[in-house]
Amino acid sequence: MGQGERYYRTELAIIGSGLAGFAASVFALARGIASAQVGNTGAVAYTTGYLDLLGSCRGLWLDDPWQGLELLRESEPRHPLSRIGRTAIQAAFDQFSGALTEMGVGYTAPAERNHLALTPAGTVKPTLSVPQTMLPGIEARKAGVRTLIIDILGLQGFSAKEFVANIRSSWPQLSTAKLSFPDMESGGQVFPEVMARALEVSSHRERFAERIKAALGDARLVGMPAIMGIHHPDRVHAELQRLVGVPLFEIPTMPPAVPGIRLREMFEQGFPAKGLTLVPQQKVKRLVLEAGRATLYLQDSFGEVMIESKAAILASGRFLSGGLTAERGGVREALLDIPVTQPESRADWYRQDYFDPLGHPVNRSGVEVDSSFRPLGPDGEPVNHRLFAAGILLAHHDWVRQRCGAGVAIASAHKAVEAVADMLKEQ
Amino acid sequence: MKSTLAYKESVIDFKAKADELLPEGASYDSCLNCGLCSSGCPASGLEGMDPRRFIRMAMLGMNEELSTTPWVWTCTQCKRCMYICPMSIDVSLLVGLARGAWPEDKKPSGIVRSCQAQLLDSGTSAMGLRSEDFIEIVEETADEVRQEDERFKDIKVPIDKQGAYFFVNQNSREPAAEPEELAPLWKIFEYVGADWTYASKGWAAENFCMFTGDDEAWKRMVRQRVDAVNDLGCKVWVNTECGHSFYTIWKGVERFGLRANFEMGSLVSYYAQWIREGKLPVNADWNTGGIKFTLQDPCQLVRKSIGDPVADDLRFVARKLVGEENFIDMQPCRSANYCCGGGGGFLQAGMKEQRHAYGKRKFDQIMTTQAGYVLTPCHNCHSQIEDIGGHFGGDYRVVHFWTLICLSLGILGENERKYLGPELAEVGL
Amino acid sequence: MVSGIETFETEVLIIGGGVTGTGVMRDLALRGIHCLLIDRRDLNAGASGGNHGLLHSGGRYAASDSETAAECRQEGDILRQVAPDCIDDCGGMFIAVEGDDPGFAERFPGYCEAAGIDCESLSPAQAREREPALSDKLFAAYAIPDATVDPFRLTLENVNHAQQLTDSLFLPHTAVESFEIANGVITGVLCRNTKTGGMRRILVRQVVNAAGAWSMDVARRAGCSDVSLLYSKGTLIISNTRITDRVINRLRPPGDGDILVPGGTVSLLGTTSDNVDDLEDIRPTVAEVERVLIEGTAMLPCLEGTRFIRAFSGVRPLLLPAQNTADGRSASRGFTLFDHRDQGLENFATVTGGKLTTFRLMAEKTGDLVARRLGNSRPCKTATEPLPSGNAVRWTEPGFAPRFWYRRNDPTDMILCECEMVPQSAIDSIIESAPGAESEMTLQAIGVRSRVGKGSCQGSFCSIRVTSHLYDRGVYDSARGLHSMRDFLSGRFKGVQPILWGEQMPQIELSEALHCSLMGLDRLDGKANDPEKEGSG
Ligand SMILES: Cc1cc2nc3c(=O)[nH]c(=O)nc-3n(C[C@H](O)[C@H](O)[C@H](O)COP(=O)(O)OP(=O)(O)OC[C@H]3O[C@@H](n4cnc5c(N)ncnc54)[C@H](O)[C@@H]3O)c2cc1C
Ligand SMILES: Cc1cc2nc3c(=O)[nH]c(=O)nc-3n(C[C@H](O)[C@H](O)[C@H](O)COP(=O)(O)OP(=O)(O)OC[C@H]3O[C@@H](n4cnc5c(N)ncnc54)[C@H](O)[C@@H]3O)c2cc1C
Ligand code: SF4
Ligand code: SF4
Ligand code: SF4
Repeated sequence: MGQGERYYRTELAIIGSGLAGFAASVFALARGIASAQVGNTGAVAYTTGYLDLLGSCRGLWLDDPWQGLELLRESEPRHPLSRIGRTAIQAAFDQFSGALTEMGVGYTAPAERNHLALTPAGTVKPTLSVPQTMLPGIEARKAGVRTLIIDILGLQGFSAKEFVANIRSSWPQLSTAKLSFPDMESGGQVFPEVMARALEVSSHRERFAERIKAALGDARLVGMPAIMGIHHPDRVHAELQRLVGVPLFEIPTMPPAVPGIRLREMFEQGFPAKGLTLVPQQKVKRLVLEAGRATLYLQDSFGEVMIESKAAILASGRFLSGGLTAERGGVREALLDIPVTQPESRADWYRQDYFDPLGHPVNRSGVEVDSSFRPLGPDGEPVNHRLFAAGILLAHHDWVRQRCGAGVAIASAHKAVEAVADMLKEQ
Repeated sequence: MKSTLAYKESVIDFKAKADELLPEGASYDSCLNCGLCSSGCPASGLEGMDPRRFIRMAMLGMNEELSTTPWVWTCTQCKRCMYICPMSIDVSLLVGLARGAWPEDKKPSGIVRSCQAQLLDSGTSAMGLRSEDFIEIVEETADEVRQEDERFKDIKVPIDKQGAYFFVNQNSREPAAEPEELAPLWKIFEYVGADWTYASKGWAAENFCMFTGDDEAWKRMVRQRVDAVNDLGCKVWVNTECGHSFYTIWKGVERFGLRANFEMGSLVSYYAQWIREGKLPVNADWNTGGIKFTLQDPCQLVRKSIGDPVADDLRFVARKLVGEENFIDMQPCRSANYCCGGGGGFLQAGMKEQRHAYGKRKFDQIMTTQAGYVLTPCHNCHSQIEDIGGHFGGDYRVVHFWTLICLSLGILGENERKYLGPELAEVGL
Repeated sequence: MVSGIETFETEVLIIGGGVTGTGVMRDLALRGIHCLLIDRRDLNAGASGGNHGLLHSGGRYAASDSETAAECRQEGDILRQVAPDCIDDCGGMFIAVEGDDPGFAERFPGYCEAAGIDCESLSPAQAREREPALSDKLFAAYAIPDATVDPFRLTLENVNHAQQLTDSLFLPHTAVESFEIANGVITGVLCRNTKTGGMRRILVRQVVNAAGAWSMDVARRAGCSDVSLLYSKGTLIISNTRITDRVINRLRPPGDGDILVPGGTVSLLGTTSDNVDDLEDIRPTVAEVERVLIEGTAMLPCLEGTRFIRAFSGVRPLLLPAQNTADGRSASRGFTLFDHRDQGLENFATVTGGKLTTFRLMAEKTGDLVARRLGNSRPCKTATEPLPSGNAVRWTEPGFAPRFWYRRNDPTDMILCECEMVPQSAIDSIIESAPGAESEMTLQAIGVRSRVGKGSCQGSFCSIRVTSHLYDRGVYDSARGLHSMRDFLSGRFKGVQPILWGEQMPQIELSEALHCSLMGLDRLDGKANDPEKEGSG
């Protein structure tokens, strides 16, 4: 293949490779819709790995997210999650977490209640579905099991002592140890990603397991930063547990962290094999909507890439991912300049207190959609009947404070793909 | 605190250069400090540096330090950092600039010598192989093939054939060190009936001048080759199994605004095309022992050039050759692949310890696959992967595609099996 | 002794840990006098931590107040000699752009000459060659000897030196509450430890009130009504990179957004000037930032697309005229020293107003008064004695930490703040021995003594890494470490909030997700950390 010959034709083009984009691909593939997906590194690369549905409503932590959704429907009817039925949300989560598990990163099936998941700071957060590698710690805290927390020489931003000092009040039986990682004993900086990849090799696992065993003491469980493999965490987890002889669990760490890299790479490496056309780590430069088609134009250093499709889902995220841009005069949607619902002026974007429990008004800005999740133009009508939108790009939610990032992404992707399927059927 | 004015003239202003050379929104100013680049860079930690640190030091005006850190010779300019970065910030470009600013006598002599050798003769060989010697070796080797294998008694190895469809370049390693390795590729061309030619000018594949950071030399090199192809009036310049030569030429043509009256393609894409068209009826029947193979995606060819389409071609060919079930991908792979550490002139730089440290990730990746062979269409990858295997005690071999293609077609000569293990020494003879 | 009260004793208590207070501290220590310096918060918590960092050549005041201008020039020269480490002698320029008064531009060299300030006339082409970022609408330009000064380094070095000389001591988070006065003499000062809430009594012979904009409040607590101040708030914004090599001043009478000052690797654009009534909760606003930016863009069009990383505000105390001042000089000198004798106090002095540039002179005059009162006849030495640098006070200089780290080449010395490249060893030396170091040191306190949190991520990553390091070192053993991180980030946000647009938006979005979604810092209080008990049921 020479320069400038990269052209794809497909039914559905998905713009964005965050959780919303990937969820859309999962749902589209399941429905047999031929799809192509593009997108660069975005928010999902930094995630904890937890899939939140709804963790907080009206400032209260939610034990039962489903009941929370009812509250939300009353108090925030325009919230994306309020516009999608419970069964659809449930189906979407089931299908998505199932797909992750099938692709090698095991997740718990969504249940009736939120988990109280662990954070590296020793705080906890309500979330619906968690990686299997993280589950034992969540359960051990509930049961108060005597547990050893380890941190690793050279790994920054994760301190076992910090975790323990902050979680002690609800989990007293904790001890700590600092271990060095095999072949990375110099005391210099080590990255979780590098250790995770190393643990995919059996000899490293064996040596690391020996070190854990030596530090075990009377602990019946071991928690460690999330480093149990990138591509086969479940396998690495099982192997390590077997070698150490007690259950192990992971705690997410600050970026650059394994859980986000894991998800990103899993999708990137796994999807093409499932028949998805993936143009990885590229952004759409131009999207042209015409009578019979939507055409995406991309440009990498080698030349132009074109994707022609019958429908497109815009799942381009917010500021971090480049779906929205913030100018001094206002927030804009980056690709088509679709109108963005937003506060009156820049002075109203943020509250004075960074940690204000109400969150910040600008977080609720975003794109408006109709009942089929088609983004609305200036006239309040859909921009184009081939264009749909999903993910945190949508208006009227504050995923950070409401702990609903994955929830909004997955549920809205489900809704959008359903609408795409209807549209394609009509034709 | 001294004024920063004093030394500005004498060293590169990296921040200013980044602003000048990188696209808007992808300059150093946009960096979020998230560290994804460093986390995913095998050169992180070498010489105390990593890509994020490179950016930060540029932002902090540490121009002297950046101009002198030997780290720039350990970064293989593989662009994985840019690939992973949410802002698409390219570190490798300024690494190249920093390399170029090193005094010639301080640069790693191996790279410099390779580039100088290329500039000496119109053949542009980094191993100093002169064109007349190249032609002689090719002709001698071709004679041997004709004598040894009845089926190839008329094999043609054209040189300077005016108007041939393919202009084929050749890595110097084969003619200079292992001429018998030339033959499999010729046999493949013969098999599919390709209209091809070597050239007496600009025939060599490698381009170390780019790695010295000397843009002028890089340009000279590319110009010689482009002229050579233009002169012969070939339709397609086809790159042999050598990663960086592909990148250096198309990028060079673009960067220096040269006129190339031909297309540039990778041999890999043609392998795939010929297999699809039935011209190369390869299969995995020979692999009765279920030997496992993995694949190294050369970053120069995949991430830095064509991207996943060529990675897909590589896999298509590999799977056909070794059998679906015997092919195991390294993770991550395709465009997200790690550089092996052979690129960027690292192999020639004489920084062995650093190069091994860099290659450790590749080694771990390979070990995870538990494959017995690593396939790679790149000479640098080939050497480095062999070397780290030896260094870290890996029990695998590294092979070219052409070896397996010929093996599968039953046309691989007895002396063309240097890279195969004893279990394959007899297969298909 | 009342139980629960900590008691300290000193010859001179100095109230206010800004450049003036610390300058007085060093001045007195050089005369052999023991001092105790207190600040209700920390070093540079007032105007000294919220200014432009311009070491005035005097050009700015040449037109309006040639006496102050000359004073700035003289003091600038002295500081260049005694504190070269704190100064970037980058030079400055005054420029006029289309719409500015050409008459003022023409008269400018004359003003400078009167004040003894070098002034070189430049053609617009020359000016733009030196500073390519300047507007092409520029029509007049002069080069003048402006420089920049690092006020953090100054205060740290002042305190450090005073500690070395006479074992003088600095106590952070110690706020004056009341004075114990007998027969016109202050014998003790009662303070509150604002961190613990406990009380501190300081037994004194002399008291210096160097509380800047707060000095009126402090004076009143001592029963003095002679200090009468107005407050003028100024807001500045900091760019991610250094935009010009030199200080750029607008060639016109002072106004908003008319000076761009380099600060090592960044530039600071300012400042506004608005009278305010209240000193508490001073924060920059979006409207102020807009004003500064629109004016600045007239000089430097590239500011339109520049990434800004923070805004901040400081308050200048303005002295109301017709005061009874110690040396009878008029307020035009910029600062005033009150000896408070007419208020019936023998051992109390207040020094306020002035500039960063003239802090040494302010300290000298104050030192003279206090030393005389103590019967100490040693002369002031600060005009000739260089400021010594020390291991723990070097970390505020932009680019110092990374160069130090790079030269040291120790792979185990991990970098904790990647933006400013502050290594672990720097943090360790600060916790161990920086002025005001304490056992449970907060992130804010470390931030004042280093570049931690001052880069483009504004502390969002390094706060997490430094906190983990502090826990690891045993500095923290309770939830207080996380609270300190939260407070630090809240503090940073004050300055970040008004400059959130463009490239800073992805940064803040990532930060918020990090701090809330990953760390849970928005839920530290009350039951939030134990949500089971709080579930909506
Ligand atoms: C620090 C952090 C912690 C998190 N923790 C959690 C957590 O605990 N629980 C949880 O549920 N979620 C968490 N998240 C993840 C977050 O919830 C999800 O990433 C988000 O909800 C997914 O939304 P999205 O797919 O709509 O957008 P994003 O993930 O932002 O993805 C947008 C995608 O669009 C792409 N894009 C933008 N413009 C273009 C264009 N022009 N062309 C092509 N592609 C484009 C981007 O490259 C990106 O791939 C966390 C995120 C962060 C940053
Ligand atoms: C926006 C702005 C820009 C400026 N730019 C420049 C410039 O470029 N060049 C220049 O030369 N000058 C400049 N200045 C002026 C300069 O900053 C000040 O003159 C100088 O910093 C004043 O220092 P100080 O020590 O007197 O007061 P401050 O630095 O304000 O110190 C007073 C201290 O007293 C403490 N305090 C208050 N109340 C109490 C109490 N009850 N108990 C204990 N402690 C207390 C406070 O916490 C504070 O730390 C600028 C000022 C502002 C506001
Ligand atoms: S990945 Fe990109 S944004 Fe993140 S630190 Fe590296 S260069 Fe900066
Ligand atoms: S180009 Fe490759 S080796 Fe160089 S910094 Fe980037 S990732 Fe590392
Ligand atoms: S050696 Fe191989 S892997 Fe490394 S840069 Fe070259 S092509 Fe890439």
